[in-house]
Amino acid sequence: MILWHCLALLLLITVQTCTAQRCDEFTDLDLSHAIIGTSLKVRLLLYTRDNVTCGTLMSHTNLSAHPQFNSSRPTTFVIHGYRPTGSPPIWLDNIKEMLLVRKDMNVIVVDWNYGAANVNYFKAVDNTHKTADNLTAFIKKMQEHGASLSSIHMIGVSLGAHISGFVGANLDGLIGRITALDPAGPQFTGTTPDKRLDVTDAKFVDVLHTDIDALGFRAPLGHIDFYANGGTDQPGCPKTIFSGSSYFKCDHQRSVNLYLDSLNRTCASKVFPCDSYKDFLDGKCLDCDRFGDAGCPVFGYDVTQWKDVLLRLNQTKTYFTTNSDSPFCMTSYRLEVVTWNQDVRRGYMTVKLHGNGEVAVATIDHKAAEFKRYTETKLFAQFDKDIQSVKKMSLKFSSGEALKPKHKLRLLRIRLTHLERKERPLCRYDILLEQNKEVTFRPLPCEESNF
Amino acid sequence: MPMELQTFRTNGNDERVTASNGDSVVDMPDGAAAAAETDGLLQMQSNGCNGGAMPANHAAKIQRDPEITNNTKESCVYRVRRELTEVVCESKSAKCKITLWMIIALVISLIVVVIIISVAVCSAIHKDPDESFDPSLFKVPVYFDGSFQLPNLVFTDELLTLSSNESQALATGFQEKLADLYRSSPALGRYFSKAKINSFRNGPVMADYQLNFLIPEEGQDQLRNFTLSREMVYNVFRQFLYDQEPNESEPMYIDPVSLKMVVRH
Repeated sequence: MILWHCLALLLLITVQTCTAQRCDEFTDLDLSHAIIGTSLKVRLLLYTRDNVTCGTLMSHTNLSAHPQFNSSRPTTFVIHGYRPTGSPPIWLDNIKEMLLVRKDMNVIVVDWNYGAANVNYFKAVDNTHKTADNLTAFIKKMQEHGASLSSIHMIGVSLGAHISGFVGANLDGLIGRITALDPAGPQFTGTTPDKRLDVTDAKFVDVLHTDIDALGFRAPLGHIDFYANGGTDQPGCPKTIFSGSSYFKCDHQRSVNLYLDSLNRTCASKVFPCDSYKDFLDGKCLDCDRFGDAGCPVFGYDVTQWKDVLLRLNQTKTYFTTNSDSPFCMTSYRLEVVTWNQDVRRGYMTVKLHGNGEVAVATIDHKAAEFKRYTETKLFAQFDKDIQSVKKMSLKFSSGEALKPKHKLRLLRIRLTHLERKERPLCRYDILLEQNKEVTFRPLPCEESNF
Repeated sequence: MPMELQTFRTNGNDERVTASNGDSVVDMPDGAAAAAETDGLLQMQSNGCNGGAMPANHAAKIQRDPEITNNTKESCVYRVRRELTEVVCESKSAKCKITLWMIIALVISLIVVVIIISVAVCSAIHKDPDESFDPSLFKVPVYFDGSFQLPNLVFTDELLTLSSNESQALATGFQEKLADLYRSSPALGRYFSKAKINSFRNGPVMADYQLNFLIPEEGQDQLRNFTLSREMVYNVFRQFLYDQEPNESEPMYIDPVSLKMVVRH
């Protein structure tokens, strides 16, 4: 009799641990599913700090069945995009873990892989509306359970960005925040705001563009639009079709990688409001006064610090540049050059900063800069890393003309100003730059200037 | 992959013939279609040789005698070869033959050589307008006065009197140092005329100095505002001082922070 009791108890414990250990995973499909085509099935996977790695498949109707789901906590939805091969997105684990490190919240991964995995893109686009209706119903259920719409944040990638937009529109734009990571362009570009994501879909809409010339959306869609590297070609992405499938998706995919970097606090990228990428590279948009003491916004998860001023400005288009790999953020300096050459010189500048055994490089080569006698030429120098205390500095001037005689650039003064840290600019006087020859020197803290 | 099927008519026959990739002929009545196809291929090759665009409907045009397109390909290559190896001039005594391709090669290499030489000559005779100047035009004096501290120097009464040997030697040393520094400056060197130590002072040991520059009358306002501005002359000195290694024992060591300078009006 006692043996039976023991066995029964053992059995119960085993069943308990088994059910507790069962994790619900993201739907893993393969190319054959995509070729045959899948019909829509929306699954909601819940992750909280209690089950960071082990997802729970949520019921769409009975929320009280999930004790981990706490409607008083903020809820973040993560919505993926088109899955032409049917495989689960590789970034899902990272994003949910990083979100949970940031805040005690409910992370709901919206798995609409059945529906997104289809070689026919138009079918997947059709399914975005149905997914959005499904999510709207779910969020209304959440409201009944005491969740507030303003504590909801939806992070949508590509097609997922538009799904977030549709959900937001269904809920009269009362959702707290929508983050769109390279919202999809094909089938959405040129449509009316009700057929895509737009600025009225949430109280705060922030949009990252990384592939506006192919899979992404070109026009601004949110309160703030970040155009990484101009939004077209991302550094480190293949430029020819010989690199295979990554040629198509690398730029588009980069949006998620950039966002993960900001979520992880790997580093912060300052963004600058500007009308065009060209003006931005020319250093014409370095003015951050409109944002007050906070300065220009920082790209990514923490842009909410600028929410009030951005809402006041209605829509802001911003630009920033990145490295080709993580850490993606670059360090911006303003470089002002005064020369005394009688003739006007044109060319490119390469600046290196040395300090703490590290070297940061900035190549200003988007166009030939013009150096006119006794006139200050302002250049925008973006370094691949931040050097805390600059000990030495190198300059190289090149004209890019192989057949012309080697000119010299005669500098009266250069001044290098860090655009993020409020520290004294660095100066150096009286430099002779021969073409393609690097000159290294020790910069001094600038004194007040009179020219 | 569906191929675009071409239809063409056979010689004088109204039967339609469909050819797929030139390999199979369907509905062939009497072998005439096969002849037409061969003609088509020949026609295509001769067109290619002449460098002209191949008409898409060439097949329809070849309702002609098959002999027309005889051996055009061979003759074309042959003609080019023959023309290239044609003997332009022949010298009997030297047994040399100059053929056309030799002349073409010669002309091309000549052009390359001329380009290289002209680029080399251009950069060799290129004169930098910033390096040429006429010192006889530099007449307008510009003066700067200032002082600096010598932390490694122990003050003696001898230093106070400028005529003493010790102060003379020290003053000459500093004057040379200043003159070297300004003469080697790319922007200021040509205008520099003299550096002078006026006196030494007690306290911590201080030296009063004076710098003389001469500038041309023409464009003197711009020179005063930029090249020979106080900011420029002062900072050339200052960065020189920051570049030197701080040496505790060196008596000539100048404290960079103590450097002062004003323009004398």
